[in-house]
Amino acid sequence: MKREKATIVVSFIVALVGLAVLFPFFWMIRSSFMSNIEIHKYPPLFLPTTWRLDNYSYTLSVFPSLRYMLNTLTIALPSIIGVLLTSTLAAYAFARLDFPLKRLTFVLVIGSMLMPGAVTLIPIFVAWSAIGLSNGYTALIVPAFLGGGAVNIFLCRQFLMTIPRDLDEAAIIDGAGHLRVLFQILAPLITPVLISIGLFTFILYWNDLLGPLIYISRNEQNTISQALANFRSGFGTDWKSIMAACTMAITPPVILYFIGQKYFIEGIVLSGLKA
Amino acid sequence: MKARRSPSSTLTAYLFLTPALLGLFFLTIFPMIGVVIISLTNWSGLETPRFIGLDNFKEIFTTDVYFLRSVIATLYFALGAVISGIIYSFTVALMLNRRIFARGFWRSVYFIPYVVPSIGTAIVWSWLYESNFGVFNYILHLLGMNKVQWLQNGTTAVPSIIVMAVWGMGSMIVIFLAGLQNVPRAYLEAVEIDGGNTWHRFRHITIPMMTPIIFYNFLMSMISNLQIFAPAYALTRGEPSGKTLFMVYLMYREGFIYNNFGHAGALSLIFFVFIAALTVVIFGTSRRWMFYEGE
Repeated sequence: MKREKATIVVSFIVALVGLAVLFPFFWMIRSSFMSNIEIHKYPPLFLPTTWRLDNYSYTLSVFPSLRYMLNTLTIALPSIIGVLLTSTLAAYAFARLDFPLKRLTFVLVIGSMLMPGAVTLIPIFVAWSAIGLSNGYTALIVPAFLGGGAVNIFLCRQFLMTIPRDLDEAAIIDGAGHLRVLFQILAPLITPVLISIGLFTFILYWNDLLGPLIYISRNEQNTISQALANFRSGFGTDWKSIMAACTMAITPPVILYFIGQKYFIEGIVLSGLKA
Repeated sequence: MKARRSPSSTLTAYLFLTPALLGLFFLTIFPMIGVVIISLTNWSGLETPRFIGLDNFKEIFTTDVYFLRSVIATLYFALGAVISGIIYSFTVALMLNRRIFARGFWRSVYFIPYVVPSIGTAIVWSWLYESNFGVFNYILHLLGMNKVQWLQNGTTAVPSIIVMAVWGMGSMIVIFLAGLQNVPRAYLEAVEIDGGNTWHRFRHITIPMMTPIIFYNFLMSMISNLQIFAPAYALTRGEPSGKTLFMVYLMYREGFIYNNFGHAGALSLIFFVFIAALTVVIFGTSRRWMFYEGE
C-alpha cells in the first residue's frame, strides 16, 4: 500500500534526524572519557580506545560539581516551594473568588508574562544592593515567593476552573475556610499540574546563568551553570575535562526529565497550546 | 454558579493575591519606573548619580559604536532561530504525527535538548564547532571542503548559534504535535470525501487550524530568543566585531562589567520598547494570516 510505504520512509527520516539530535550528547560523553592525545587525534576517533574513568576524578578535583549542585539546590528547592505556594494562592483567587478590580488585576498579573526579564535586571539589582543583599542567594530566592510567575498562576487557574464548584462549595457550607478548601480539597486534584510546575521551576533554576552571574561572586557559592561557564573560560582547551564537567552538569536535568516525562510533556502542551 | 462577592471573599482574595501583587509592584512596575530614572543618570554604582537628561540615549543613538551592531545581531539571531525553529519543529511534529516506528521513543529523544542548560548546549556545541579538532570541520574535510572557523567568522557565527538554539527547541515539537492531534478527524475526512489529496488536507485544514498555536509560539519564542545570552557570554564575547553582541549581553557588559548603570539602564529601556513594538507588530499583522474558529 502506498500509505504504508510512506510511513516506512518517514520512520526512517525520523530515526536519522533523531540520531543527529542525539549526536552532541554522544560526542560529549565520548570526549569526556578520552586522553588528551586521543581527543586531539585527526581524523577523530569515534570511540575512546580505553574509557578513562579517572578523567572524572581529575575533573572533580578542579571542578567540584557536587558543591555547585548543592549550591544550586539551595536556591532551587526553596524557590520551588515559593512558586507552588504563591501561584496556587493567586490562582485560587482568580478562579474561585469574586472581588473588585478582578479583571484589571488579572490582566496586569498575567500581562507581566510578556515582560522580558532582562529589562528589569538593572533596577532590581540596584534595589538589592541598596539594602545590602546584592551578593548572595536571597536575591535569587525571594522573587519565587512573589507570585511564582504569571505562566504558573495562569496554568493553575485554568486547572482549578475545570473542577466543579459544588465540591468546594459543599466544604464551605460545612464550615471549611478558603485555605483549607485550596490545600485539602483542590490541591490534591491538581497534583499533575503542580508537579509540572515544580519540575519546570527546578529546570529554570538549574539552567539560569544570568541571575547567578549578577548575584553570586564567590566561586565556592557558584551554581552549576555559572561554574560551568567559568570553567570553560578558565580551562579553554582542556576539552576532555570540559566535556566531563558538561556531562555532570547535564545529567541531573536529563534524568529528571526521564522520570517525570509525562509531567514535562503535559506542562509544555498546556502552556503552549492555549494561553 | 457565579461566585458571590462579599466583604469576606474580597478580603480573602486580596490576601491570597498579596504575594503576586507584591511581585507585580516590586518585580515589574517599580523596576520599570526605576529603569527610566536610572537611564537619565550617569550612575556608575559607586559615586552619587548625577541627572544628565537624555544624554545616555543621545550617546547610544549617535556615538555608541556597539548599539546598532547589537540590534542587528539580536534581530538576526532571534528571527533566524524562531523561524528555523518553527519550520524544524513543525516538520518533525508532522512526521511524528504519523504511525511511525517507535514514535514515543523518538518524541522523547527530540525533547531532551530542551532540558539541557543553555550554557551546557553552548559549550558542547562549541566543541563540535572547534576549528582544528571539531567534528564539523572533519565532516567538511570528508566532503572535500575547507575548514571553517564557525564561531570566529563573521558570516558563520550567528548561523552557528542559531543551529544550536534550534536543537534546543524540542518543546515546540511537543506543542505542535499536541496541536496536530487536536485537528478534528471529521474535517480531514470531509476533504477526502470531496476528493482532496494530502496537500489539500494540509493546506486547507491542518495549516488554518494550527495558525493560532504557531502564532502564540512565534510570539513567546521571539520574546525569549531576543534575550539570548549564554553563547555570547561563554563563547564569543560579542566577537567577531560585534557580530554576536546580543542586546542582553551588551546590557550585562555595560552594567555589571563596566559599571555603567546609567548607560545599561538606557539600553534596557530601549530593549523594552523594542520588544513591545515587535509584540504590537506581531499582534497587529496576525489578523491577516490567522484563522479564528467560527469566523
